[in-house]
Amino acid sequence: MAINRLETQGRKRKKTSNMAALFRALRAGRALRGLGSGLAAPAAKPPCVSLKTGFHRTAFILQDESKSSKHSDQDLTAGTTLKDSISNPDAEESSRPNTSYQDQTDEDGEQYESEEQLQARILGAALEFVPQHGWTIEAIATGAETLGLSSASTGMFYNGAGDLVLHFVAQCNSQLAEILAEQHKQVQLGQAEPKKTADFLRDAVETRLRMHIPYIETWPQAMSILLLPHNIPEALKHLSTLVDDIWYHAGDRSTDMNWYRKRAALTGIFNTTELVMLQDSSPDFQDTWLFLDNRIQDAVNMATSVEQVQSTGEAVVQGLMGAALTLKNLTGMNQRR
Amino acid sequence: MQIFAYVSLQRALPVIVRQGAKRRAFPWSSRWYSVVPPPRDSKEKEMLHRILRVDHAGEYGASRIYAGQMAVLGRSSTGPLIQEMWDQEKKHLEKFNEILAECRVRPTALLPLWNVAGFLLGASTALLGKEGAMACTVAVEESISEHYNSQIRTLMEQDPERYTELLKVIKEFRDDELEHHDTGLEHDAESVPGYWLLKNAIQIGCKGAIYVSQRV
Repeated sequence: MAINRLETQGRKRKKTSNMAALFRALRAGRALRGLGSGLAAPAAKPPCVSLKTGFHRTAFILQDESKSSKHSDQDLTAGTTLKDSISNPDAEESSRPNTSYQDQTDEDGEQYESEEQLQARILGAALEFVPQHGWTIEAIATGAETLGLSSASTGMFYNGAGDLVLHFVAQCNSQLAEILAEQHKQVQLGQAEPKKTADFLRDAVETRLRMHIPYIETWPQAMSILLLPHNIPEALKHLSTLVDDIWYHAGDRSTDMNWYRKRAALTGIFNTTELVMLQDSSPDFQDTWLFLDNRIQDAVNMATSVEQVQSTGEAVVQGLMGAALTLKNLTGMNQRR
Repeated sequence: MQIFAYVSLQRALPVIVRQGAKRRAFPWSSRWYSVVPPPRDSKEKEMLHRILRVDHAGEYGASRIYAGQMAVLGRSSTGPLIQEMWDQEKKHLEKFNEILAECRVRPTALLPLWNVAGFLLGASTALLGKEGAMACTVAVEESISEHYNSQIRTLMEQDPERYTELLKVIKEFRDDELEHHDTGLEHDAESVPGYWLLKNAIQIGCKGAIYVSQRV
């Protein structure tokens, strides 16, 4: 009996070792294919970038499959695990020739998600762990692990914590754009009253800054990350799209220097209010919203006083011209000879 | 009585509609057609925005040039002619203002510069007399028509069907500018002393202005 058990165990071990060899060969094949897709770069991407992504993809695949193969060696129903890990390759070009028999089961291209989508998913999951780990690689790694991916997938993020912060900022901006578009639709349908510009700006900035509240403890760290030199261009781009969106939905259609003046003013208001919010300890950040109110009121007052100065200036000039003409008439210099 | 009411309603309706459209500040609802198609990706957006930005700057500059010319020659015999050309440029500028607002294109930051430079160019060439003003018109309109032609070529190469509306607008404006160019030639532009020098200097300036306005 013992001999029979030994024999069956030996046969099982042979089976597992055969299966293990097969999986290893497949892994190597997939790694080579990932590398190959990076080398046979599509014309759209520069070759070095796709090579890098090819390498990272293969590294990621290897990491991923080393994890899954650990399970597969112990579990004979490894086919499903392998298929799972295959059904989520971060393949961007679905036009790759399907040479492996597993890939032919995924007929619709939607099973493949692009690298950007995968990154977005990981960063979205990582945001949960920001209060705990701060805006760091650890948060990204923990987020990746909750998605069932290896924590080494943080290697995908060249910018590390900067990627996380920029992703969050972009996400907040697009949420705000959606909210503003929805509000506009409500006004169009007549279900809501159109707001005055100052109120609209105040509400838009308040809505946007309220998105920071869950992360307000760690937000100073995020702001300092955004101020790093390699992050500044993209942070400025996000800020400018945010301010442009808010003004556009507030009804600004100017096509002269006012375009720049309005956006500069709103950028100043937004940044200063953001900073005030960091140090605000009042209930529900009442002091911040009061500060915001005052700044917007300042901007409005500035605009009206500029208008008043202009119209006063014009009136004064007209008065002077009238006085000069009267003098000319009085001294007889205006007579036609 | 009913006919009167009907006729007055007919006359009043466009005014009401126009006023209604003006009161609403949201453009994407108050028009059911769009001259420029919504861009499909960031490359196309960049290209369209550059084209619109530089065209807007060009019309603004042309308007200022005519303003400068009017300031000097407004009360002379060429006044009405320059006024007419200026009105057409104002119409062009209005159209581009609409398009820019609709497509959320950033206007060029150098507008104050083109404001002053255009006015000075118009005024200084007008000080050379009617022929000088006409020579300036010829030079500027030639530059602008060439520029519109290259834009038309670019858009045709990309996708003529997609940009039909925009191409129609640019072609119409280019034809207007060519008309101004021919008017300038008719009114003795070439008889100004130093015509060749003046024309080329102005055209080099225009080329530089176009290059910079596309980017800044």
